[in-house]
Amino acid sequence: MFEWSEEQLMVRDTIRRFIEAEVVPHIDELEHGDLPPYDIIRKLYATFGMDQMARDRFKIQLDRKRDGDAAESPVERAERQGDGGAAAMTLIPIVELCHYCPGIVTAMGVSVGLAAGTIMKQGTPAQMERWGLDLLTMDKVGAWAITEPDSGSDALGGMKSTARRDGDEYILNGNKTFITNGPYADTIVFYAKLDDGSDTPIRDRKVLTFVLDRGMPGLDQSEPFRKMGLHSSPTGELFLSDVRVGKDHLLGETEDEKKGSGRDSAKGNFVTERAGVAAMSLGLIEECLKLSVAYARDRMLWGQRIGDRQLIQLKLAKMEIARLNVQNLVFRHIELSAAGKSLTLAEASAMKLYSAQAASEVAMEAVQLFGGNGYMAEFRVEQLARDAKVFQIYAGTDEIQVTHIAKDLLNR
Amino acid sequence: MNVVVCVKQIPDPAAPPSLDPGTNNLIRAGKLILDDSDAYGVEMALQLVDKAGEGEVTLVSMTPNGETSGLRTALAMGAAKAILISDDSLAGTDALGTAKVLAAAIKRAEPDLILAATESTDGYTGTTPVQIAEILGLPSVTFAKKVEIDGGSLKVERQTEAGYDEVESPLPALVTVTAGVVEPRYPSFKGIMAAKSKPVETLTIADLGIDAGQVGAIGARQEITDVSASEERASGEIVVDEGDAHQRVIQFLEQLKVL
Ligand SMILES: Cc1cc2nc3c(=O)[nH]c(=O)nc-3n(C[C@H](O)[C@H](O)[C@H](O)COP(=O)(O)OP(=O)(O)OC[C@H]3O[C@@H](n4cnc5c(N)ncnc54)[C@H](O)[C@@H]3O)c2cc1C
Ligand SMILES: Cc1cc2nc3c(=O)[nH]c(=O)nc-3n(C[C@H](O)[C@H](O)[C@H](O)COP(=O)(O)OP(=O)(O)OC[C@H]3O[C@@H](n4cnc5c(N)ncnc54)[C@H](O)[C@@H]3O)c2cc1C
Repeated sequence: MFEWSEEQLMVRDTIRRFIEAEVVPHIDELEHGDLPPYDIIRKLYATFGMDQMARDRFKIQLDRKRDGDAAESPVERAERQGDGGAAAMTLIPIVELCHYCPGIVTAMGVSVGLAAGTIMKQGTPAQMERWGLDLLTMDKVGAWAITEPDSGSDALGGMKSTARRDGDEYILNGNKTFITNGPYADTIVFYAKLDDGSDTPIRDRKVLTFVLDRGMPGLDQSEPFRKMGLHSSPTGELFLSDVRVGKDHLLGETEDEKKGSGRDSAKGNFVTERAGVAAMSLGLIEECLKLSVAYARDRMLWGQRIGDRQLIQLKLAKMEIARLNVQNLVFRHIELSAAGKSLTLAEASAMKLYSAQAASEVAMEAVQLFGGNGYMAEFRVEQLARDAKVFQIYAGTDEIQVTHIAKDLLNR
Repeated sequence: MNVVVCVKQIPDPAAPPSLDPGTNNLIRAGKLILDDSDAYGVEMALQLVDKAGEGEVTLVSMTPNGETSGLRTALAMGAAKAILISDDSLAGTDALGTAKVLAAAIKRAEPDLILAATESTDGYTGTTPVQIAEILGLPSVTFAKKVEIDGGSLKVERQTEAGYDEVESPLPALVTVTAGVVEPRYPSFKGIMAAKSKPVETLTIADLGIDAGQVGAIGARQEITDVSASEERASGEIVVDEGDAHQRVIQFLEQLKVL
């Protein structure tokens, strides 16, 4: 694949029209105010039949799980037979939304991809029905909580949240921070270390995954943080003090660390998440480039357009190079998925590291190219620059991507 | 309830248009898109069929080069199938010729109702639909801002300068709709994916039994004799304030007799 197909372009153009009509008029409230993005995401889902598609997919996944866990996960099945290009249909809306509001994608991706994804993968059929469907359709908002004040990059090892057995139930304690959708989530996927009273060092204890409901006694969801950017994605803290849950809230209803549960489940999300960040970077870079080219043509100084200056041309050329490279990486991911293959963790990390850095650099250079206007909200590149920075921090920091790439190279 | 919608595929109005210097016709060589004006007819048709609970929406389009991009958009919205008439001998066909071709194709679909836009975005003579109705011997109702089917009859609110007329007509009939009639839906992802496998029947004028002498440049009774650039808007006068600007503004307004 070297360009979008006719059909993919039709999806892109339709999404574009929707964004111009339904998102752009609200950018001020989303990015400079406190409007939560959920109603807009729901409208997107309803408009394009994404809610119905989610219901159809849910039924297939549920049936397969019920048929006993010969249950192939959607990822496994895609690995066997290819996804028929479905990856593109998920990525195109991501690319397009990131021309304006990467935060909307973050809020949506965490709810549908991480929270619902984990429940669908690890949950029992009853748990899938109880929490999975409403999250997949965006009727409810989900959060996925692993990071803690004292452990982000080292989330699994350094995790301090605990789950203590009490008869048939568990008592959960701990704090989570930087949690996307934390302030508004109806359903929270919560990771904690099993405290079974043994003297296993805390780093080595089992990681269990629980599902929490908004309003449970002992569960507090903070207000949204004030942050550098990504305002259209609310981020907050969670406080658990003696939250009592039955086994029905433990995903899979077992403490056994099966393939795909606990630690594995957190890691299993890495590839999808990192490919997603590359698609987000692509949208943001495309927009910065488009705005910069237009400005370089229009802005006249000393009787000449600034685009005629070589220092400005260098900026545009570098932006175009970044766009080409990131687009090729995204296309490669789509092609691999269609062929029933998947990026290795190291490849996904390389893709994420490159795309995130490219997005940040392109956006900061766009601010520079716009001069004083670049620093003003009206010209939009300042928002994109603030938003791009987070691509280098979440879904694994740049430094962590480096360790994943290097580990793979050195262990070959 | 079977509805035919006439949909015109046109060059993207956002791109600068170009004319053939020999014939003064619009050049339609590149990708063609669904005329926005026709999205309303498609939506109206889908809603009427949905309400009737049976039947389907068929698109009819006359287009050069076998182009189907615009049709795919309307199919993605939910139309069931399309008839495309594309034939080299149609080059230079005028509005009446177009109406003859479309009428012959529509007849094959045996519709209960035919919808078209009030006027197209590129040619906008607004004459094709009524000529189709005349050729088919059907009643036509123009400028519809509301369309309902009540049993076997058609009820239309027809936009006028003063308000609207309530019109009733037996079916089959032809109706031209305005942009206010309904809000066109976005094609769903599923619709877009389904569109590529929906049938598009491509016909030549021979398939329709039309004689080549009636259409094309030979059959055309209209000819574009001259095209001239529209007058550039005169630039306004800039008043540089040298202390007397307010007086000059007042003078200007007095000249206009608004003061
Ligand atoms: C907007 C936003 C949304 C988020 N959403 C979620 C969410 O929904 N759920 C969730 O669980 N988390 C979420 N996070 C948390 C995010 O995943 C973490 O911030 C990230 O993993 C980094 O962890 P940390 O903040 O604790 O930084 P630290 O781990 O404390 O890192 C500090 C610095 O040390 C570097 N560093 C760490 N380890 C190494 C090493 N081995 N070698 C070299 N350098 C190293 C890091 O790269 C970084 O530069 C979100 C974060 C943000 C900003
Ligand atoms: C001198 C001349 C040369 C022409 N040469 C060519 C040519 O080389 N190739 C060519 O393809 N056309 C050609 N045309 C035809 C022209 O593009 C229109 O299709 C035709 O004249 C209808 O006119 P209009 O656009 O003003 O439609 P209007 O009457 O304004 O259209 C009203 C509605 O009728 C329906 N409709 C109109 N045209 C079509 C159509 N083609 N298919 C389906 N529905 C339609 C649509 O619903 C439209 O919104 C030519 C026309 C003229 C006058």
